[in-house]
Amino acid sequence: MCRPSGRRSLAPSSATAVRPRRSLRISSRHQAWAHRALVAPSALAVLVLGAYPLAFLLAASISKSSLGAPFQAWVGTDNFETVLADADVVASLWRTAGYAVAVSVASVILGVASALALHRGTRSGSIVRTVLLLPLILPPVVVGTLWKLVFNPGGGLLATVLGAVGIDASGVAPLSSTTWALPAIGLADVWEWTPLVTLLVFAALLSQDDEVREAAQLDGAHGWALFRSITLPSIAGVVVAAFLIRLIIALKAFDLVFMMTSGGPGQSSTLTSYVIYQVALKEFDVGRAAAITLVLAVVVTLVTLPVVALTRRVQRDG
Amino acid sequence: MARRTASPRRSILAEGFVLALLAATVVPLLYLLSVSLMGRGETVAGVLVTSDPQWSNWTQTLTDSTLPRAVVNSVAAATAGALVSLALALPGAWAVARFRTGGRTLGATLLSPWLLPPIVAVVPLLSLLRVLQLNNTLAGLALVYALVNVPVAVWLLEGFVRRLPVEIEEAARLDGAGTLRTLTAIVTPLLAPALVAVGIIVAILNYNEFLLATFLTQSAESQTVPVALSLFYGDRTPHFGKIAAASIIGVVPVFALAVLFQRWLVGGLTAGAHR
Repeated sequence: MCRPSGRRSLAPSSATAVRPRRSLRISSRHQAWAHRALVAPSALAVLVLGAYPLAFLLAASISKSSLGAPFQAWVGTDNFETVLADADVVASLWRTAGYAVAVSVASVILGVASALALHRGTRSGSIVRTVLLLPLILPPVVVGTLWKLVFNPGGGLLATVLGAVGIDASGVAPLSSTTWALPAIGLADVWEWTPLVTLLVFAALLSQDDEVREAAQLDGAHGWALFRSITLPSIAGVVVAAFLIRLIIALKAFDLVFMMTSGGPGQSSTLTSYVIYQVALKEFDVGRAAAITLVLAVVVTLVTLPVVALTRRVQRDG
Repeated sequence: MARRTASPRRSILAEGFVLALLAATVVPLLYLLSVSLMGRGETVAGVLVTSDPQWSNWTQTLTDSTLPRAVVNSVAAATAGALVSLALALPGAWAVARFRTGGRTLGATLLSPWLLPPIVAVVPLLSLLRVLQLNNTLAGLALVYALVNVPVAVWLLEGFVRRLPVEIEEAARLDGAGTLRTLTAIVTPLLAPALVAVGIIVAILNYNEFLLATFLTQSAESQTVPVALSLFYGDRTPHFGKIAAASIIGVVPVFALAVLFQRWLVGGLTAGAHR
């Protein structure tokens, strides 16, 4: 946790160089400006991608705006009132939050288990690891296509396998069921992103201190106790960070919904990003879409804040 | 060794779990490959492996569809975007990691655009590209990709910069190298492996990106792979065999990249989590 700071670590060596004090101060002020210039390109990117869309959305949300002609007339909080009174939008927000937490928890549990198994098992060579990473590098559009084929009611993998073991699979069509459509998308999501958690946790396991664990084993710790008191604390920071990353990715889910169900059947798999897409780019009501987006931003913040706080605490303790 | 023999039972459990993971990963992918060789009838008949491989699914997708063009477009936009992202992010990552420019706030602020769903930025970016007359062009898409991934690139590169021994830079400075010269002549060559790793990750993210591509490039000439693939479902009676073949063809460039640079990719992905 000791971050080397350029200026501080330079101090002793500058002293040995015996430079006059004044010129050192001038050069350090000059350097501070040089450092700011270095950050400028990144800051510019954030302005164009963060500040500008945010300002645009704020302006659009309080005005009558269509896709072709934004900011036609001031409407105050009308858009927000419409949006918050819209049961479909509110339901989609709850659905998004629930979906994100569920797939993130599933991914983290599965990912930590996989990392531990890879770490303990002998079969963790580079080929195995590359294969396990494949879902991560597939375009989400292909992941959606793939699982849509698996769930294909006519003769997909799921229906065929169920049929082979003697279960009547004629009615098995998860993507056209209001109960199973979202869990089916969630399964594809977990399949796609769990390798990221596995990878991060596996790297943390590799870099943990072997001596501490061996000492604990000599003292008789093994199995669950060893995991609980030695392994888990050493990877807790990474696990929580991976959960946060996973949660943010899940809150952004759009491609899988678009490819697999288009939000259906009915509204049963409509996540909020899909609602925004429908309102902005199908109904062309950018004002209302902007209002939904800002409400979603609030929900994203509320869902991630506790995890951010947890990350801070774990990393401070660790 | 002693450790492993101490608890053979758990080790077997671990081996079994890894095998199950491999199966869960590979079976859907093999199924996609299998479907890509099926005729129209077989895809809805509950067949797992075709008895009559339809290689025409592949040849037709390669010869008369928009896909080959889309692959070229995607590779171009992904590569150009990644290179510009790296150029923008490297100085920033170095300054934030070494000199704490902007303090703690800047580091956190730089990552903030990544937190919000990209749908947030679609409409504003569409307006911006229209003003720049870059809408429906690959150049416009590459520019957006370059900006979108700066936060991720800074975040990943920071981890690598922190691992560089600071002494080399101090020595360069004592020898009279200025800030810019230290960056270009010392830090950049030392970070070359990291730049490759982060560049690959960013290029893959670009190649796979769908939401922005589908709205910012609607003309057929500027379509990328995910957009072209999404349109394959547009037919009234989609041919699953051809869709599967197209998906695999579209994925080949990223798979090749990932397999060739497997070690660098893993290094790049894990650098961010370790600070």
